[in-house]
Amino acid sequence: MVALSIAAVLAVFLLYTALAGAGTPSLSPSKLAGHSGRVSLSGNVIGPVRGDAHGAGLRFGLRDIEGGSKTTVPVLYRGTVPDLFRANRHVVVDGTLRSGVFVAVPGTLVTKCPSKYAPAKTSGNSDT
Amino acid sequence: MAELGRAALVLSLGLVVYALVGGALAAHLRRRRFVLSAQNALVASFATTLVASAVLLSALVRHDFSFDYVAGHTSRTLPLAYTISAFWGGQEGSLLLWLLVLTGYGAAAVLLHRRAARDVVTWAVPVIGGVATFFGILLVFVASPFNTQLAPADGAGMVPSLQNPYMLAHPPMLYLGYVGLTVPFAFAMGALLSGRTDERWIVVTRRWTLAAWAFLGVGQLLGSHWAYTEVGWGGYYAWDPVENAALMPWLAATAFLHSVMVQEKKNMLKVWNMLLVILAFCLSIFGTFLTRSGVINSIHSFTQSSIGGWFLGFIVVIVVVSGLALRARLPQLRARTKLESPISREASFLYNNLLLVALCLTILWGVAFPILTQAVRGETFTVGKPYYDFFLKAFGLPLLLLMGIGPLVAWRRSSLRALGRTFAWPALLALAVAAVLLALGAGSSGPGMIAYTFSAFVLGSIALEFVRGTRARHALGGETWGSAFSSLVARNRRRYGGYVVHAAVVLLAIGIAGSSLYGRTVERKLSVGQSMSVRGYSLRYLGLQQSKSANATETRALLALGGRAHGTLTTGTNFYPVEQSSSREVGIHTNWLRAEDLYVILDQSGPKGSVFLKVLVKPLVNLIWVGGFVFVLGSVVALWPDAREERRLALRYAEGVPARA
Repeated sequence: MVALSIAAVLAVFLLYTALAGAGTPSLSPSKLAGHSGRVSLSGNVIGPVRGDAHGAGLRFGLRDIEGGSKTTVPVLYRGTVPDLFRANRHVVVDGTLRSGVFVAVPGTLVTKCPSKYAPAKTSGNSDT
Repeated sequence: MAELGRAALVLSLGLVVYALVGGALAAHLRRRRFVLSAQNALVASFATTLVASAVLLSALVRHDFSFDYVAGHTSRTLPLAYTISAFWGGQEGSLLLWLLVLTGYGAAAVLLHRRAARDVVTWAVPVIGGVATFFGILLVFVASPFNTQLAPADGAGMVPSLQNPYMLAHPPMLYLGYVGLTVPFAFAMGALLSGRTDERWIVVTRRWTLAAWAFLGVGQLLGSHWAYTEVGWGGYYAWDPVENAALMPWLAATAFLHSVMVQEKKNMLKVWNMLLVILAFCLSIFGTFLTRSGVINSIHSFTQSSIGGWFLGFIVVIVVVSGLALRARLPQLRARTKLESPISREASFLYNNLLLVALCLTILWGVAFPILTQAVRGETFTVGKPYYDFFLKAFGLPLLLLMGIGPLVAWRRSSLRALGRTFAWPALLALAVAAVLLALGAGSSGPGMIAYTFSAFVLGSIALEFVRGTRARHALGGETWGSAFSSLVARNRRRYGGYVVHAAVVLLAIGIAGSSLYGRTVERKLSVGQSMSVRGYSLRYLGLQQSKSANATETRALLALGGRAHGTLTTGTNFYPVEQSSSREVGIHTNWLRAEDLYVILDQSGPKGSVFLKVLVKPLVNLIWVGGFVFVLGSVVALWPDAREERRLALRYAEGVPARA
């Protein structure tokens, strides 16, 4: 009976992984080329930051945080902009690459706080 | 002063190393005086760690910027309360707090229990000593809070987002919980190593586990409330790795609290309980590791420090050592009783445990997924909210239902017919509630309907338990109804405290279901004088105000409320020029009659005074916080010292008498 219960729990888990696939790939801007599906892109914001996030869309670039790659991916974003968003901040945003522009899913932009240390619940919990 | 702190820490390290090495040797050789000296070393290490902590605290309060730590985390203008909270605001200080709480708990546990559970304590001392040695080594050699420098004129200050009253309570609560799990772990290891594998270690550490678990729970709720009211994104839990880091040990400890009752009553699940307590402890260390290593991308950021590797190594050591100890005692732990029926109290505890552990492990899988995929596929994949939400429903809803069923099912075996009799009223209540809710339009969310129906069922069965118990006492002793009720609870604190905690969890479930499944979000651009309405609330935008405070420029949008609410509401942002950062100051209007929040975020202020507002209606969200208070109440009832119980246990565990369930 114990085995049966465990099997049931495992079955639920496998069912989910089979149906929903296994997660979104997280990429850095230099690795983005060639990915057509939805990905989560993390990088450093490269200015100029232009446009209106609640209008035609906010435009900025993203570049690798580490490794010194100079590839800059242009990003188009609509929706809530977190408090700490500005050039040179480390952000994570979901979206898909469409003809050279990373079109973000509205409301998925999240900043990482630059502070030295912040315990749970405090820093860039800006968005979900 | 720094020398004193450093010396005290070195002394602490020496003492806990002695508790580890000397304690293990003494226990092995069975030399009574030697054993006592190791216990005393552990107690003394609390005193020396207290001295080190006092040094750091006084340096903070005196603004002694010759301490690296003080200069790095505070400034002269920082208010006193936040200056004190800087103790746990940085890495070195929080490690010191870990050691302080650990040695404090250790000393108390040893002094309280060394008579009642001598053999177990003898071996628990080196285990606590081992854990403390790990933190002692970190504090002395890797991350000392007592590094000094030429004092600068002023310190770097504290991040604005940390300057918040919650900073005073949330981290210490979590620490009290995390560290508290060391005590049941150490006693479990003590039982394994000493060979006294009866349920004594469980009985002795029951309150320790309960207290640690309650602290963890309260700490997390405080963190959620902090996120909700201050961080201002409209939610209270984001399934972030750092949040999950605290949730996982809490879930494991919840499973443990339930399964130990089966061992106490039926002498079953001994191996399982060992595994659970090891899991809970490992997860509490893993939680500390997650927040320290930067190995997983979190929206909370922490120093990417070098101590992450130390923690990972320590977890490996714990797993290997406890695994070996468990294997050595496996024959002794095998159950002699078997589960008799799938419909029994034991079985329902088992289901509850499987679901809790399944939920815990799926969260762990989600947290570790980026690391695992990076290692296996060479590409990092993350799982997000849909993953966690799915499993919260898949495992959480059955758990909710079990909460109503489990406590009322008979031990050993029960029949479906008996169940039908017991649950007729709660089930009827649940169906009635479901019908009313459907009529009110709650059918828009399937999981929500299920959660509400189950919640009604559980509350019904809890109420029924109280009524039945009180009525029985009243009939028996001729007491008044009031005194029958209070003596019912007083004589069975653990049971009825547990029911109160169950009620708290139901409130939590209702609040979470209501706010996440029935909420509404509207985003609108408003010019001065324009208004908008959401779910019967109307908001008229009156204008924008700007003012300067000591360290920030404050922008506020003034709104006049109408419809279901009256009065005005302000929402805005603060801009801190020195830190070049801004923070949202959301406007929340609570409608207590509906336990609902109108949550207004000023997303953007445009040209000519127009604003872009994000307005959320969060139904029943306040039940989560009410549930928090009920949670504390239930925990206190269950924790309250019980002289009768103590006498019974003293009799049962009188030295020399073999314990029997």
